[in-house]
Amino acid sequence: MSDQQTPIGEEELHAYVDGTLSDERRAEVERALEQNPELAARISDYFSLNNMFHERYDRVLNEPVPKRLQAPAPRRWRIAANWPQFAGMAAALVLGVGIGVGTHMGRDVVAPVVGRADTRAVSADGSEVFARQAALAHVVYMPAVDRPADMTADHEQDFVQWLSNRLGTNVHPPMLSKSGFNLSGGRLLPGADGPTAQFMYRGPNGERVTLCISRRQVNSNTTAFKLYQDGPVNVFYWVDGDFGYAVSGGIDRQALLQLSHDVYSQLTGAAPG
Amino acid sequence: MDVRDELMEHVPRLRRYARALINNRDLADDLVQDTLERALGRTGMFQQGTDLRAWLFTIMHNVFANQARKASARAVHVAVDDESVHESEFAVPSDQIRSLEMRDLDYALQRLPMEQREVVLLVGLEEMSYADVALALNIPIGTVMSRLSRGRERLRALMAGTQPGARLQVVR
Repeated sequence: MSDQQTPIGEEELHAYVDGTLSDERRAEVERALEQNPELAARISDYFSLNNMFHERYDRVLNEPVPKRLQAPAPRRWRIAANWPQFAGMAAALVLGVGIGVGTHMGRDVVAPVVGRADTRAVSADGSEVFARQAALAHVVYMPAVDRPADMTADHEQDFVQWLSNRLGTNVHPPMLSKSGFNLSGGRLLPGADGPTAQFMYRGPNGERVTLCISRRQVNSNTTAFKLYQDGPVNVFYWVDGDFGYAVSGGIDRQALLQLSHDVYSQLTGAAPG
Repeated sequence: MDVRDELMEHVPRLRRYARALINNRDLADDLVQDTLERALGRTGMFQQGTDLRAWLFTIMHNVFANQARKASARAVHVAVDDESVHESEFAVPSDQIRSLEMRDLDYALQRLPMEQREVVLLVGLEEMSYADVALALNIPIGTVMSRLSRGRERLRALMAGTQPGARLQVVR
């Protein structure tokens, strides 16, 4: 005859197996088990299962850790800050990002004046798509940057290495700190024509700027800076050989242009001209 | 200590859990690697002083669930974590488990629905508290308990060689 105060619930049986019951309650469960051989057998099986897990898998703890899971020889890690959760959305958004083949723009690579006669000669469609996508990506992703301003040097190096491998070139996010903008993250956006690297920067007052770099399918000529505006977001974009670039931000156009110049000169490593 | 170094100390445990979860050394290590990569990319999101292990298992769960979702999008699968299968169908002659070979454990675990497998292993192998499991898997604690209960009973049945799946429903 049991004179339990409270019937023993299923959950308590498991808590008993996992050792989380109070002493008092445990004693009650034990008393109940004594009176119910069937239940006792079941509980005993549960204990056996836990023991078997350890017998079977604890050996993994003593295996040597394979190289690929060992501590950071930084090059080996493929790292993306803020990378995964929007990947699906990105696929939908950036699908078809591509830069149209620009016509010859001569040496006039850094034409700071938007809308100059010679920039209009560029086949606008393709690169404008890119600019629009960059603006979209800016709006969509920038608020999701959850680790502002604290990307460590190590981290940054790993990330850059990873991006470089994916884009098939040496990419170094430009340092915009002299303008007060710090790299705060980055991600790779999938696109029909290959990945686009997106770097996020934060300014001293929380302003946000993104840089998109996309490898182009067809090598073509360099274009001048062009402006694309989408609501509050300004985008300066240009094409330089194999790559298309877009700098987006909801900041003053002149400031954004200045940043674009910084970006340009650092990426080409050459003085404009 | 750097989160990064600290993270490496958890690798053996992550591997153990992944091995039990997936039962294929390479795939399990792939899961660990994906988990580490994601964790390394997000160390800034980790709150110092909170439980790194729980955080890592959360990430591993998300990676695993994503992969499973992708895989299941391509395959017809069988749902068993639902109310239509009664516990009584899992009934086993008592106390038969111990006589079984260890390799049956791998097999039986793989036959467990993913949701149940995770809970059973986090509790039984990783020895996490129910509350931590709920956090790691982002489910209510009541769900932890019901998955644990179903998972253990089903595992027990599988280990005893019964076929509780006779009435499983094929769902899209």
